Order: sequence, then C-alpha cells, then structure tokens
Amino acid sequence: MSAVSASAPPRQWRDGELAILLLLPIALINAIGFILPVLNLARYSFNRSRIGGGIETVFTWENWAGLLSDRFYLELVFNSVWISLAITLTTLIASYPIALYLHRASGAWRTFLTVLVISPLLTSAVVRTYGWIAILIDDGPVVSAIKAVGLPAPSLMFNIKGVFIGLTEILMPYMILALMAGFGRLDPRVEEAARTLGATPARTFTKVILPLTLPGIALGCLLCFVLAVSSFITPKLMGGGRVFLLATEIYDQAIVTLNWPLASTLSMLVLIVFGAALWAYSVVLRRLD
Amino acid sequence: MSSAPEEHLRLQEIGVSFGNVNVIPSLDLSVRKGEMVAFLGPSGCGKTTTLRVIAGLNKPSQGRIIVGGRDITHLPIHDRDMGMVFQSYALFPHMNVSRNVAFGLQMRKVSGRDAEARAAQALEMVQLGHLSHRKPKELSGGQQQRVALARALVIEPSILLLDEPLSNLDAKLRDEMRVQIRALQQQSGITAVFVTHDQVEALSMCDRVVVMRGGNVEQFGTPTEVYERPATAFVANFVGRTNRLKGRITSEGVLTAAGQQLRSATTLAPGAVDVLVRPHRIRLQETADAANEVQGTVSSITFIGDLVQYGVRVDDEEVVVEEATRRDRRPLAVSDKVTLGWSAEDTLVYPAGEK
Repeated sequence: MSAVSASAPPRQWRDGELAILLLLPIALINAIGFILPVLNLARYSFNRSRIGGGIETVFTWENWAGLLSDRFYLELVFNSVWISLAITLTTLIASYPIALYLHRASGAWRTFLTVLVISPLLTSAVVRTYGWIAILIDDGPVVSAIKAVGLPAPSLMFNIKGVFIGLTEILMPYMILALMAGFGRLDPRVEEAARTLGATPARTFTKVILPLTLPGIALGCLLCFVLAVSSFITPKLMGGGRVFLLATEIYDQAIVTLNWPLASTLSMLVLIVFGAALWAYSVVLRRLD
Repeated sequence: MSSAPEEHLRLQEIGVSFGNVNVIPSLDLSVRKGEMVAFLGPSGCGKTTTLRVIAGLNKPSQGRIIVGGRDITHLPIHDRDMGMVFQSYALFPHMNVSRNVAFGLQMRKVSGRDAEARAAQALEMVQLGHLSHRKPKELSGGQQQRVALARALVIEPSILLLDEPLSNLDAKLRDEMRVQIRALQQQSGITAVFVTHDQVEALSMCDRVVVMRGGNVEQFGTPTEVYERPATAFVANFVGRTNRLKGRITSEGVLTAAGQQLRSATTLAPGAVDVLVRPHRIRLQETADAANEVQGTVSSITFIGDLVQYGVRVDDEEVVVEEATRRDRRPLAVSDKVTLGWSAEDTLVYPAGEK
C-alpha cells in the first residue's frame, strides 16, 4: 500500500492514446499472422505453377481465368456454398431450442447444461469425426437399428449425408453460444406482456421472441457458415473422398498436386465468399436496428 | 340499478408456492366493479405474486379466481383479457410506439386500419400522439410508462393490473403520473389493481387498500380506515409514521404508558400493550381539550421546511412530534419543558410485541 502511495501519480492518458496502445499487440499479431499471409496468397494466385510444385514468379491471370471458365470449379464453389448454407440452417434449427432453454435456465442447472453444451469443443474435431464414423458406418449401431426395425438400410457414411450429420453436430456448440450471446434483448417480461395482451404462445414466438433473437440468429449463422465453408477434416474423413468441397480441394491442390497458385486462387475465392457473407450479415443487422 | 356496487374480481383461498416455499398461504379478496384497489406492503409480502396470479403469469397451488362471475383459474394467459403495466414497462423494443399499442388489438383480430385508429386514439389519451413512430428506446421513462399504459388500456381489458408502475420515475413525474393514471382509470370506469410499496400512492390513488404482509391480508379498507383505524400495529407502522410506547392495561382496564394513565378509544384485555400515536396528531403546549396530556423535555429539533420535527423525552421514552412551522409562537428550543396532548381516538393500542 505504502509503496503505491509513495510512487508518482499515474500519468493521465489522453483519449485514444491508451486505446492505440492496447490495440497495438493484437494489431501486430494480426498483421504478421493474418494479413501478410493473405497478401502472400493473393500474390501466389497471380503466379504460374510449374510441374513438381515450383512457382514461376510472373504476373498472370491464368489461374483466375481457368477457374472461372471451368465448370468443375464453378460447381465446387456453388456446392460448397449451398451445402454450407443447408448445414447452417440445420444447425440453427437444432440449436435454437437448446439456446432458448439455456437462456431461460438459471443457477447451477444452467451452469451444468452450459458446460455440457461447450464440452464437445474440448475434444478435437478429428476425434469427434472418427466417433461419428464409428456410429454411422454401414454396420454401425444406427444402421443396424434402422435395419432391425425392418426399414431399408441407408448409407450414412462416406457420402454427403455423413458430412451433413457430422458437421451439424460439430457446429452446434458454436451456434448455441452465438445465439445465447445474441439473446440479450429477450426480456421475460416482454414475453409476458405479449401473453397478457392476448398472444398465444405460438404468436408470442413469431411476433416477439423470434424478432428479438434475430441478431443472435444472424451472428450464429455467419459464424457457422464460415466454419462450414472452411471445414476440412470432417468432409475429408466423412466424405470418403467422394464429397468435393472448396476446403478439401484446396488441400488436394496444395498438398497432393502441389499446385500452389491454384490452391491460392481457390483460397482467395473462399475469402470472397466470406466477404459476401459478412456483407450480408451487416445488411441484416442494419435492417434490424 | 342497485346502489350496492357489483363484485368484479374475487380471489378464493388463493395459495401460491414456489418450490417448498409457501409464499401465499390462503388469500381471500373481493374487488368491486370500477374501483381501484391497491396492494400495499413491503417487498416479499406477496403483492406482486398475487397480481401475477390474477394475470395468469403465476399458477396458484390452490384456490379460485373469479372475474365477473366466471371462473378463470385455469384459463390460459392470453384468454384472460387483462391489461397489465409492468414495472419495467416491457415495451416491445423492436416495434415503434404505435405498433406497441396496436399489438393487443392485432391479437384480437381487429382489422389493421381499425387497430391503427384505436391505437392513435389511445396515444392521444396519454398525450403521446406525436411520438407514435418512435422506438421505445428513444423515449424517456415517463413516456415509456404512458405507452405501456395506453397499450394496456386500448384493449379495454376486464381488469387493469399495474405492477409498481411509478417506481422507476423521478419524484416530480411520479406525482404527475399518479394524477393521470387515476384520472384515466376513473374516466374509463375500469376495475384496477395497483401494486405498490409506497403508501402515498396507495392512499392517494386508490378507493381501497389491501395491506399485505407475509402473504396474508393485514387489513382491507378505505385509505381513511387504514390510516385512522389500523387493524394491526404492522399496518399502523407501515402506513404513515408512529411513535411506539410500551404500556400496560391493568386488571381494572386502566391503560398506562410513559409513566402515566392514558385514555384510548380502543379496549383490550389486560396485559402488556404497545401504544401508538402518530407524530402529527400530538399537539404541543395547546392541550386544553386533549384527553391525554404528558410532560416532556425537548431533546432534538429538526427543521424540514413546512414541518418541524421535535424529539421529546417523556419518562424514559423518546416521542417524535411533528408540527407545521408557524410564526405566531416562539420556536421551542432544546431542553424546553413542554406539554404534549392528543385525543383518545389517536391513541392506538395493540397487544405488546406485535410487529
């Protein structure tokens, strides 16, 4: 105590000075760890690839032109976006009731359930993906159960269905956390007001709860869409090499074919897709306010 | 038309439990058509819970709620036709003022244009017609409160339920809103229940007051009855301020306190008693016609402006006396000898130890 009082009075920071100082570390990390690599990727996408993984440092539009004129890649982009949107929607529908319940729960019960929801994040996605493979594989418990009931056995693994199921489950914790973060405006008194004014539970949901939780929905969808588009391990393992998405193709081009300029161009394309998603999100948010 | 006012709301043996806690043991109450009744009591007395039971927001563990002769105990919230004003106003933050007010009409399938017109009318009624396109967060507390009131009244509910509607407003606004709410209630002739912990609100706005404690009704009467003839020492203490003197009633029925014999309008069985006298009912010096007269010494003086508060030592007890400030008499000074006088009607006697 005495040491503190004996020292000189703390220097008064001017507005902004402190903010800049506090933001500097993260800005530096971002610059070195994110912006520079991305610029590097952008540069590669205008270089030419040589057989055997070499890069010819010339400026060329070849990669971009090739990509945009190749049906395979256009379909790849379209499929990736479409599947990711569908997975995002499924994740939202599966997560929303859980998030709403958690938002309303209180005390130790809420803490327990929240930990339960977050706990999958403590396990690596690789492990969880293998878990899903074990569950969904052709003679696994789910298929056996369906067969036992007498229904035709579906093929749930090493195709798009498996990717869909696995990714939905893997993304749910993120969606639930994002939804809960966005549920701040949902005041139980406001719901009660709607009920006393004559709204049935269903109309209270559509007229009050849903509109008030839209910011959370928008945030959760943005987050899960970005994660779905960029997810690599789950589609790679659960797709069994038959599901082609942007992330898996980038991996193949970069690691298997060693065509770094093409991998870079695809990565830039993913970045453009993310930019579009972010733009859509900001439009939605502005509409809401 | 019979002159006896018709009963509109009846609570029959209503009990409420939260888990293992029995918040309201058994409550009976009858509210007449068109009257405004206050539920008055300290926090945790069950007043808000009772209001929420009427609205259907809390389920009673026993008993019946009857409105206009119809049992609504098991009716869902949205079919109860109650207009509720919440303490936090609970306006819909995503709707503008006009849509907030029209919400209840919309739920009642009133056509769009009709609902709009009635909402506009209700907003005029609370002098907010010019703000109909604002969002709730762009309004002041008082304005939000009036929107909440318009929203509750526009559906012409069976009962208007007000849950501490004034407690989030500053003092001056509270006075204005008190008058306005009462005027609106009387104009529309609506039956209203007003929950408050503020005795001034209860006494000044309401036809009758229910004083509650620990989930029980301590007294149900007009403001004058509750103030002048408190049924229990708790009511006397909670509604208005009082002095409390330790006393006894002898086997001959003689009341003594502060070292001398006192006269009271109430009679009680012999034993230890508490004698309660309101500070402003005690007169200083001019005690010619007072039924009770005691001597004391001024020990403290607090000047409040329109009032002077004297602390007077009587026997070994401290008595607070309030007097309007006046110019015709020399102000008293500390350690002046004074005579205190009050009437037998103002001497309230309760069994000792009642809190």
